[in-house]
Amino acid sequence: MSDPVSTQDPIPAASCVLITGGTKGLGLELVRDTLQRGAKVATFSRKLTPEIEQLQQEYDGRLFAAPVDINDQDGVKRFFKDASAVLGPIDSLVNNAAMGQDSMHLHTSPEQIARIVQTNLTAPLVLTRAFIRHAMAKTGRGRIVMITSVCAQRGYSGLVTYAATKGGLDAAMRTLAREMHGRFLVNSVAPGFFASDMSSVLGTEQLSTIARRTPSGRMVTPANIAPVVRSLLFDDTNLNGQVITIDGGSSI
Amino acid sequence: MSGLSRDHVRTMMGEVLAAQGKQLPADDSTRLDGIGFRSLDFSELALRVEDELDTELNFDAPELRSVETVGDVLDFIDQLQPTA
Repeated sequence: MSDPVSTQDPIPAASCVLITGGTKGLGLELVRDTLQRGAKVATFSRKLTPEIEQLQQEYDGRLFAAPVDINDQDGVKRFFKDASAVLGPIDSLVNNAAMGQDSMHLHTSPEQIARIVQTNLTAPLVLTRAFIRHAMAKTGRGRIVMITSVCAQRGYSGLVTYAATKGGLDAAMRTLAREMHGRFLVNSVAPGFFASDMSSVLGTEQLSTIARRTPSGRMVTPANIAPVVRSLLFDDTNLNGQVITIDGGSSI
Repeated sequence: MSGLSRDHVRTMMGEVLAAQGKQLPADDSTRLDGIGFRSLDFSELALRVEDELDTELNFDAPELRSVETVGDVLDFIDQLQPTA
């Protein structure tokens, strides 16, 4: 069974977006940008921050935030119910929450490898499944953006498991884009290194080396990423199954 | 479980360098970049220590970035080892 391409309307712009890990850093920037664009936002992280609580006051009734660990499946299920009860059906997802790594593979314990895979790959896949089931039943169509990393495409020392999880998400993204054809636009945004909790472990010398080797001459900031995610959520670009790398050209 | 002595680890560090035709100076303040002891050489040393202790000594890269001298290596391995 297939739909004739000519009758396929564009996937509507996002109206209610779940952004994981939206209480600080890039996630917070994406929450702020999505709210400014006029959509409602649901977000969770392990802990709420003063910044997200401030936004809750500013956008009363349009932002739902709660402390949930992405690895807590029951907590995530409850969050879906609670958030959609307040905001209405969620039609878009930004998989942003992740944990970092900075250890050589041979010195990374099997337990730590399992934690990174669980948080960065298994949990987002389970969450994406829950989102698709919710959105299919409530709105029928929607948009998904995976925040992955340039590490999935290029080798960076100290990031073996992290890179594997991000590459895994990129692969899942392409397959989902095919699987959910006509129903969901699914894409990845892959930032290069930018100032965040995850890059804070890098030394000043390493950060300046990264900036020096970046053709644009400067490292990426969350403000560079937000417009691209915004376009994937709201514009009729017909981009689907793609990884958009934002790294100032350092991977070319 | 008791850890390896500083002297024992020093001997092992010398063996790692000797395998590359390099020598370990007696002075603990010698800088690692001066004797060509690189991060993977540290990994090799750590794995040799693990073999002796029959336990893994896992650690993050940032902890290693402050290691600059022979003495730093010995101190770092010392604090990685399980206490008796």
